[in-house]
Amino acid sequence: MPLINFAAREINYKIVYYGCGLCGKTTNIQYIHRKINPSARGKLVSIATEEERTLYFDFLPLSLGTVKGMQTRFHLYTVPGQSYYNASRKLVLQGVDGVIFVGDSQITRLDENVESYLNLWDNLMAQGDDLSKLGFVIQMNKRDLSDIFSVEDLNELLNHTQSPVIEACAVSGLGVFETLKIVCKQVIAKTA
Amino acid sequence: MAKRKGLVINDRQLDLCDDLLRKLKDVTGSTFLALISTSGQPITTASDDYHPETLSLASLAASSFAATQQLASILDEKEFTLLFHEGKSSNLHVSQVSDQVLLIITFGRETQVGKVRLYTQRAIEVLRPIFEGSDEENEALSVDADYEVTAGKAIDDLFADLEGQP
Repeated sequence: MPLINFAAREINYKIVYYGCGLCGKTTNIQYIHRKINPSARGKLVSIATEEERTLYFDFLPLSLGTVKGMQTRFHLYTVPGQSYYNASRKLVLQGVDGVIFVGDSQITRLDENVESYLNLWDNLMAQGDDLSKLGFVIQMNKRDLSDIFSVEDLNELLNHTQSPVIEACAVSGLGVFETLKIVCKQVIAKTA
Repeated sequence: MAKRKGLVINDRQLDLCDDLLRKLKDVTGSTFLALISTSGQPITTASDDYHPETLSLASLAASSFAATQQLASILDEKEFTLLFHEGKSSNLHVSQVSDQVLLIITFGRETQVGKVRLYTQRAIEVLRPIFEGSDEENEALSVDADYEVTAGKAIDDLFADLEGQP
């Protein structure tokens, strides 16, 4: 749910990267932080363990500048992927406008992908949200690796909402901005 | 123009909030005050010369507060209504104004915690009604299709030529 401050002429949208552990959520947000014009971004905040696994979330604010007199911002968050951090994931999802589900394309990660996808639905439903009312994009990450699912198989597994699907390699940046661009436009369209 | 859900702030609400934050700042001697949404987005601030990075502060404070609420739930407590961090030279006080709004206050060692708590509690009683019923009041405020088109172009420009750069 965006925060629209008509008095201060500001609109803020919240976008959350979701997916199983080690699927590349933080890598996405780190690539965006590294590549985007520094004047269009704020500080990257990461609450991680000593092993650099996300403990709570990563946070990166992006500014779109002034659109029709309204300062427009996208606040990007990641969630911790490991299954036992579900309480933290629920907190990060509060007030979400758009979700990027980062799928790990490796065949060995099938169960983790499905579990994470179902967990996303459970958590959204628990807070009274519905993916059909939010921006939603599926990013199929790690397409550069061998032993990966076909796009068709992953679509069948994870995309019963017929949402946009982007093939990506977050380490090299392939598909990272394309994914973000789609969800940014979706969240604006969903609430305009 | 479609009706939008979410937290919408209008001129009247912001004026009332700014006025109250200034008074609260003066009476408590605090250094920085901010109203933020429970989803971690800043609404307005009051400060003379201290300007922390508000976006990060709002995100972290809202998350900490949300975690505190979950702690309350685990401990079978209905709610913890405030969060307090004590530092060597400054303190952070976060309290709930409404379902969607939190109040952040930072203050130095020279300010008494009890004073901040007392006046904050009174301020919240004034702030809470400002946000109650705001959905009906703000029903007419919405973002139109022109905004969507212009924002779409701005998004294309912002991300132009960045895809897959090594």
